Amino acid sequence: MVLDVAFWALGVVAVLSGAAVFRVDSMARATYALALSFIAVGVAVLMLHQDYLGVITILMMVMEMAVMAVYMVMFMGMNPALMPMSMVHDNRRALAGAAATFVVLAAGALLVPWPARRGVPSADTTRALGESLMGPKMLAMVVVSPVMVATIVAGVVLAAHRTRYDRFGDDLRQRPADDPQRGGVGR
Amino acid sequence: MGVSEILARYAVQRAHVLVVEVPGCWSLRVALERQVLSRGWQLAESPADADVLVVCGQPGPELGELVDRVWDQLPGPRVRLGLPRIEALDGALDAIQAGLVDTANHRADARQRPATPGMDHGDMDHGDMAPHGIPLAGGGEDRDGLEMDVLHLPLGPVLRHWPAGLVLRCALQGDVVVGAQASILDGGHVATRATAAKDDARGGTNAWLCDQVCAVLSLAGWPDGAASARRVRDALIDDGSGEATRPALERLRREVFGSRLLRWSLRGVGNVAAQGRGSRELPEGVVGDVHDRLVRMLDRALAGQLATPVTVPALLDHPAALVGALPDLVTGLDLAAVRLLVASLALDTTPTREQVAHG
Amino acid sequence: MTTVAAGWAIGAAFLLGALTLFAAGLDGYATARLEGSARRGAAGPLFEGARLMRQRARMTVSADALLWRIGSAGLVVTALMMVTVVPLGRWTIFDVGVGVVWFNAMDVVVWALVWLVGWGPNSAHSLVGGYRFLAHGLAYELPLMFALVAPAIAAESLRVGDVAAAQQGLWFVVWMPIAFLVYCVGVVAFAVWGPFAPALGADLAGGVGAELAGPDRLLFLAGRYALLAAGAAFAVPMFLGGGAGPVLPAWLWAVLKTVALLAGFVLLRRRLPALRPDLFMEVGWLVLLPAALVQDLLVAVIAIWRR
Repeated sequence: MVLDVAFWALGVVAVLSGAAVFRVDSMARATYALALSFIAVGVAVLMLHQDYLGVITILMMVMEMAVMAVYMVMFMGMNPALMPMSMVHDNRRALAGAAATFVVLAAGALLVPWPARRGVPSADTTRALGESLMGPKMLAMVVVSPVMVATIVAGVVLAAHRTRYDRFGDDLRQRPADDPQRGGVGR
Repeated sequence: MGVSEILARYAVQRAHVLVVEVPGCWSLRVALERQVLSRGWQLAESPADADVLVVCGQPGPELGELVDRVWDQLPGPRVRLGLPRIEALDGALDAIQAGLVDTANHRADARQRPATPGMDHGDMDHGDMAPHGIPLAGGGEDRDGLEMDVLHLPLGPVLRHWPAGLVLRCALQGDVVVGAQASILDGGHVATRATAAKDDARGGTNAWLCDQVCAVLSLAGWPDGAASARRVRDALIDDGSGEATRPALERLRREVFGSRLLRWSLRGVGNVAAQGRGSRELPEGVVGDVHDRLVRMLDRALAGQLATPVTVPALLDHPAALVGALPDLVTGLDLAAVRLLVASLALDTTPTREQVAHG
Repeated sequence: MTTVAAGWAIGAAFLLGALTLFAAGLDGYATARLEGSARRGAAGPLFEGARLMRQRARMTVSADALLWRIGSAGLVVTALMMVTVVPLGRWTIFDVGVGVVWFNAMDVVVWALVWLVGWGPNSAHSLVGGYRFLAHGLAYELPLMFALVAPAIAAESLRVGDVAAAQQGLWFVVWMPIAFLVYCVGVVAFAVWGPFAPALGADLAGGVGAELAGPDRLLFLAGRYALLAAGAAFAVPMFLGGGAGPVLPAWLWAVLKTVALLAGFVLLRRRLPALRPDLFMEVGWLVLLPAALVQDLLVAVIAIWRR
């Protein structure tokens, strides 16, 4: 009973704080309203006995919100705080799209004939999760991470307007590199 | 005895003192700091951290107005004291302690202060673009080509480990300085050559150099190093320059020179190139990065100890030229590097004799 | 590993408080030994606490009060949440199956909190301090995460009790020293302590703490010590064998090991110059992260070979 109430309360918190992202005045508040929403979802997942997934959700989302603070300064031309800003673009189409998505997903959740449970959940859900991911899908998991990192690095290299010729000179021989901010290892 | 009295008695054992130094009153400030630390009190880093505001010397009109603004920023309980002369130091700290314990006085003080922070012209919003009367920052392109806000921040006279009376008005993008203007408050003109005021101070130039070394090491975040430098400074003030204090100075130099982490941290920071130095009339001793200047200060102090002819490049001789060159030196550096650079230049903002006579 | 009633969380809070006081007192003593009266140094936290309790709270213009206070008060709460998974000898409050990941999640929450303390007061120096902390964070967090993975691989479990029990033969600190070192760097860094204190630096007039006063400042500064204590306490079951040791009972060994490691952390503050965030960034990504990964590889190979 208590768990049911808690679960529903967490759902309400998640939705309301998610909506708050678009209502508050400052980017910092929007960011941390989003973090609160994700934390509520993480705790709800914890209540589904998926310990690892719940804690990892909280971990990753809080870290992402903190990193968003870095992007906030990098990319927001105007003061990212204090003034009532319109956080939304293209309201009508977005509202229509959001309403349609909600209807489709809610219809799916309510109307799809979900299968009945076969057997019992294993004692260690984390282990079961790990085996189902790493067992038959091991190759995909091993390849995905380096590909993602390579994509991020490549994106940054392509976006930066100082090339390696700027850093190392025309013959690529100048060491240490000519950077506006010196690094600690002297690369 | 009520809880508030007990709390007051314990609280006053560890008061935090914010020191405002008027240019030319270095020895008074050092004497005050020594007394504060020997009581177990601390030196405050910012007005929010402070219980006590002490002004060393007789402030001019601009500095006086600034001191009033800083006084407004101290949360209660707070005590304010002016120390015009070194003789006023006797018993001053005891008076401060008595003032801090007086809770009724602080309650009265608290009642007459405004409850919410507001600008002088009230709490109005000037249109949409100035919440609480502060206009929003404008934008500009920064060194990476991103559009970032430009913030105008004065690095003011009331800062720890900062030359007295110097105001550096910076335009910041992020924490990188993109433009700056340097001035000395109250129209002070720094001496073009090293002043005699330092030699008047007890311990003379060597103690002053150790104080600058202590400032650089504190800004580099090395508490033990700064404490060693402070101890050597105190020894030089008490015992003068001579055989008794030379081993301590040598030990300090070994410690600073030998710390590889410090060298790694300060290498390349605040680099002043050799070319263009002559055209800006900067002394030779300015060339190099913060670590070079730090070691040079210690070498200069050691050379002074040995009373040998000073072969170490002069550092202290042209404070006016250094203040004039500060905006150029500082542009493009981040705030940490700016603080380290300014501390490593060992600026002596003591006013010239004519100013002192008129002021 | 026996799970005790949740009411013992109060006892855990008291123990954390005692460790915090110990850390603050030791730091005060070490400072005062060189800079003034040593006797008063050890009682420093008492006097500082009284002073901050007596000081009025402070607000700046256009400050984001909600986020500011959440940040400054949150550090102590985070430290408390960290110690709920740390076993004291054989007793634990929350024997959650993913204790290691829980600790990791809590130390990531510190990222958010310290930045909020920098953002809240609408002050240039505080904001620069907050971003300095994030710059340190981007450098130490990934190595810390990989360092936490190593004992979990060796014990083949994410439960903190299992990790402690898997060290009956040989403590993990002996054969995974790099992971221990990187973990210690991480603890000192998320407590904004010592060489990782540019966020509170003197060159920023106190940085993140430039506008803090009164009880908020007390909570923030106490939170730093509490995080150090929680980090030291967590290292004991992860690397230092938990409650293992001759003669004395398990819980006493756990406390002694925690106190020893905590004293080590506290005393290193004065000795090392600060590590500038822009310099440490390369060190974190090019030195610590590859070292942690190599350590994980070695541990995984040994774990497979042992089976």
